[in-house]
Amino acid sequence: MVVALESAPQRWDSPFDPDLTDEEVSGLLNTSAFLTVDRDLFPAHTPFEGILKNDTRIVNFHAGDIVVREGDYGNSAFIVLEGSLRVFVGNEGPEGLLGRQSINKRGVFSALSQLFSNSHIPEVRDTRNYGTQNLREGRQDSDAARVFVQDIPAVLDEFRTAILEEGAVFGELAALGRIPRTATIFSETDSVLLEIRWQGLRELRKYNEEFRRQIDTRYRENALKVHLRETPLFTGLEDDVLEQLVSATLFETYGAFDWHISYQKMRSSGRSGPEHEVPIASEGEYADGLLLIRAGFARVSVNYGKSNRTVAYLGAGQHYGLRALYDSWKSSTDVALGSSLTALGYVDVLRVPAPILEEHVFPNISGRPPTFVSLDDRSVSDDSLLEWSVDERFINGTQAMLIDLNRCVRCDDCVRACASTHGGNPRFVRHGKTFDHWMVANACMHCADPVCMIGCPTGAIHRSQVGGMVIINDDTCIGCGTCANSCPYNNIRLVDVRSRDGSLVLNPNTQLPIQKATKCDLCATNPGGPACVRACPHGALSRVDFQPETLAEDSP
Amino acid sequence: MVSRLRTGFVWVTALIIFGFLFYEARRASVSLESAEVITGWCLLCLMVFLALFNIRKKLSMLPIGKAETWLLFHTAGGVLVTAVYWLHVGNLWPLGLYEQLLALLIYATVLTGVFGYVIQRTYPKRLTQTGVEVIYERIPREVSELRDQVEDLVLECTEKTESETLGRHYVDTLAWYFRRPRFFSHHVFGSQHGRQWLRQQDAAVRRYLSDDEKVYLDQLIELAEYKNGLDTHYVYQGVMKGWLLIHVPLTVALLVTSVWHILLVHIYAL
Repeated sequence: MVVALESAPQRWDSPFDPDLTDEEVSGLLNTSAFLTVDRDLFPAHTPFEGILKNDTRIVNFHAGDIVVREGDYGNSAFIVLEGSLRVFVGNEGPEGLLGRQSINKRGVFSALSQLFSNSHIPEVRDTRNYGTQNLREGRQDSDAARVFVQDIPAVLDEFRTAILEEGAVFGELAALGRIPRTATIFSETDSVLLEIRWQGLRELRKYNEEFRRQIDTRYRENALKVHLRETPLFTGLEDDVLEQLVSATLFETYGAFDWHISYQKMRSSGRSGPEHEVPIASEGEYADGLLLIRAGFARVSVNYGKSNRTVAYLGAGQHYGLRALYDSWKSSTDVALGSSLTALGYVDVLRVPAPILEEHVFPNISGRPPTFVSLDDRSVSDDSLLEWSVDERFINGTQAMLIDLNRCVRCDDCVRACASTHGGNPRFVRHGKTFDHWMVANACMHCADPVCMIGCPTGAIHRSQVGGMVIINDDTCIGCGTCANSCPYNNIRLVDVRSRDGSLVLNPNTQLPIQKATKCDLCATNPGGPACVRACPHGALSRVDFQPETLAEDSP
Repeated sequence: MVSRLRTGFVWVTALIIFGFLFYEARRASVSLESAEVITGWCLLCLMVFLALFNIRKKLSMLPIGKAETWLLFHTAGGVLVTAVYWLHVGNLWPLGLYEQLLALLIYATVLTGVFGYVIQRTYPKRLTQTGVEVIYERIPREVSELRDQVEDLVLECTEKTESETLGRHYVDTLAWYFRRPRFFSHHVFGSQHGRQWLRQQDAAVRRYLSDDEKVYLDQLIELAEYKNGLDTHYVYQGVMKGWLLIHVPLTVALLVTSVWHILLVHIYAL
């Protein structure tokens, strides 16, 4: 059945804060942060007032409330409207404030003791460790729940902090660049902040010269030089050339930050594939610069039959367009791109203009840059696994559980091994999407772009400092389900926790069972790595990185 | 995946161990010593080592090597045990009653092991070929849901087409098929009898159906094909889980009788 809508869905159909009034928007226009904004530069379809009305919300913080946490992923930036905030300098901060879990590897005897300590009752917890964080307001609502610093004067005495006052902007680089927050910030006094979601940030950056300059300058100063220096193509450049490169490089973002939500909708409506993705560069066009993928994933495809055929996918650190640019420079004629590049979700791109490459980089390249693997020696069947992994977005996984069904005897030794190292509770389901004789089981893939980490109110889900796996601190998880709802692969499960006698642990306020988010932690605390891999007698199970280095080495 | 090099190393090691034992047994025999004591104790050690594989499965939390490597040793060890057993008794079938019980147990254990080895290398591929993937414990629920789906379809067909032909055919024959997993013995040997039976049921009734009913029959057959895949999984997964229920108890029985055998030998024969 087809339902006709009165109008096509618009971006502002769901405002960030539906309760934001026109009076409040007028008030915002008169704040120091926006007084100098030239509203005439914004197009009629995206007026400045519209951005404020639909892409921002006013958030009140009490003294001590944590606003952003180091290491968290976020999709919004903040402007201080009233009050003052403090940012911890040099990765400092009170222990436990971040809600993270320190990973202590078990010894052999401790690991062995699980044989006797594992309970036959599911999801038994020692609730004595719960409530170690100072949590304000609702315990089940991710928006309302806030962790706070209890003794602000003592914290200020003990730790080095910097102050952020009215008009200060923070969080925009993490929001636009899809990178973890670099510092923890808390409200020193009662404060009012304007939170701008990434869509609004992108529009502001697009139409407001001052805002763009401010963000770009910060990025150039803080991260770009290091990033370019780490790019193999530029490692040999002199410092002054690198400076020129830094100042000439353009920043671009493609796709939606919340791609995981739109992707699920696209899949359910059967609209997946390159033709439904945001184009970055198109086959047949002329390249004006080298595209460096800074964050996210992009698909390289060529026209094939009535559709597009995936040649490769690119991840952070890889580049596109080098071959065409080099050929253009070498032959002094325009050489068109031999493939298209489309955004798989959110992609942060750096565009290095061609002239600077021609002057400083190409003369130092020995030989023509390699292209992607030629299609001549690959059939459609050969590439079908690649197409599938890209379509299903498994390329996001760095530790996906891949099972060879031609070897798997379905004995569930992997499941039992997982349970034996997690208190008797398996942390994955030996079931999932299949292609040919491969199955990607429902186990956390420890994604390169961990969308599950966006919005966790207590910082319970985080990337571990050692190993980089995404883990959940059971003690600080409040069971709000934000992570489980965000995971595009349904690999996080909420469970009702129980006490040792088997009874459900109830929230004293609501009398509802306390829930916790659970998922694979790669046996972070257990010696010897993932027990599931070791337990498979037939070598059918492996944890694989879907990163693209094995698929493509350079650009067309 | 265990590398070919490692596989080769394990098998060569097993061969060297057997060669050494063979040489020692011959030497002991020539020296008028009791070669059976050497081979017997080695046999027990090997059997205990093989049984440890099952213990290793319970100790997944410990970094004591991959189960895949253990299985390789287990397989090579199983072959070695057979060879050493023949060396120990000197023929294929002993004369004493208790020794015959031991022989029966060792042969049964080895044969079930070989059976397990073979099915574990053939069944997974056949399961993949069904195009269905299901967890064993969920199969009864899947079959039940499928049955509900099929019955709803047949009822709808009867209501919409005002004809009982397909409904009667379902009640007479297909209801039996959807009641629980079928054609167990055929599936065990990889026969396609289930699919052939479905084709037969399809052809038998199709000639009596109107065009509208045929649409429902096509849907029904599609669901029946899926059920055939579930049946295959039920049988193969069941067999792959079930053979251990024979192999492991046989191993335990073998170890117990072997220990008693050693006690008797050391008390009365040496």
